[in-house]
Amino acid sequence: MSGDMRRDFRDRDDLITYLREEFPEAVAIDPHVAETRGGRQAAEERLTRIKPGRAYRITRNHIDGEVTRLSPFIRYGVLSLAEVRDFARSQADHVQEIEKFLNELGWRDYFQRVYREMGDGIWTDIEPYKTGFDAHQYEDTLPADIRHGATGVQFVDDFIQELYTTGYLHNHARMWLAAYVVHWRRVKWQAGARWFLEHLLDGDPASNNLSWQWVASTFSHKPYYYNIENVQKYTDKYAGPAEDYGHEDFVGSYDVIAKRLFPNADFRDESSGPGQKASGRHPKRRQHAKRR
Amino acid sequence: MTTIVWIHADNLSPENPVLRAAPGAPAIFVWDDELLLDWRISLKRIVFIYECLLELPVTIRRGDVARELVEFAHAHYANRILTAASPRPRHREICRRVAGLMPKGSRLEVLDEEPFVAYEGKIDLKRFSRYWNTVKRHVLT
Repeated sequence: MSGDMRRDFRDRDDLITYLREEFPEAVAIDPHVAETRGGRQAAEERLTRIKPGRAYRITRNHIDGEVTRLSPFIRYGVLSLAEVRDFARSQADHVQEIEKFLNELGWRDYFQRVYREMGDGIWTDIEPYKTGFDAHQYEDTLPADIRHGATGVQFVDDFIQELYTTGYLHNHARMWLAAYVVHWRRVKWQAGARWFLEHLLDGDPASNNLSWQWVASTFSHKPYYYNIENVQKYTDKYAGPAEDYGHEDFVGSYDVIAKRLFPNADFRDESSGPGQKASGRHPKRRQHAKRR
Repeated sequence: MTTIVWIHADNLSPENPVLRAAPGAPAIFVWDDELLLDWRISLKRIVFIYECLLELPVTIRRGDVARELVEFAHAHYANRILTAASPRPRHREICRRVAGLMPKGSRLEVLDEEPFVAYEGKIDLKRFSRYWNTVKRHVLT
């Protein structure tokens, strides 16, 4: 039998000092501590500030939009989905006002159901890649420059730094990073998923892996990709000469980028027609990527 | 029947149904050594979880979860372990091991939390759109 771990701490610094000693292997992975605090009290404070109606629906795709940041609390059951659902309903005159918000909560419920059904199968490709490449053509491990946040692509490196220091990324940023890893660098989604789980406070194998599979196209009809205009639009940053920000590979229309990234893919034939909009591209885009 | 409560990382709420079902029962959370090794979670995740635990009436330990649970039950003369459901295969594996390690006449009970969608029928999970089309009217009513 192991001994009891401590429960009495003078303050947060005292707790952190203790945990650094008790979990040196976690410190070795990354020593940062996030500002976000755990616990029901913090969860309830955050819950009371959500704006699940119009503000969420209209702004949630923007990196500074009215997202709730409840995900770490939901991940650990500090708040149940039912509690969040009921609170959101109490804020609306009509349930239709919060339909988009409930739909997004539904993603969490959906992923948990898939996890219950598939178990550790969520770590393997659910379907083949639709990128024109086979799985063996993707690297197994995350390149060092990505791990070090030193890719030279400014927005990518900024998001990696944010991931390390805060344990949080807006969903749009998660998708941009994931697509960069899988499609621009041709690395297996599993390597990226493992990396995210090291750092995300809300890291959950179901939501995380299945979203990576969705981006990769092993759990969707097509790969998710984007261009720099999409990043600029939803960050209000990174405007100016591409070489200043190292994002030359992200410049161009969706067709140009798709030809560059997926020269042998079938999906380009069926989708490269009029009517496509310059936004992150996917048939049934999930969550924050479809920020039009 | 004397009960202990097993709190795991899917139910870190003081309002969770397991704690409500057994108010005052000794409760335990065990950091899973094998999982920590496997998942390589960084310090900020540990701190967040630990802060959640400090708001719960639980004893915190680290080691082999199944063994720690059975020993905790034994130390409290308990013959019933109550816990919350989880979709994780690791949870099922620990439950199986606990059941094998518990003395005869003891039992492990798993409670469900209130579901997001009160729908008992079959749901096609191949794509989110299929799931949502099935459950939407139950969520929006």
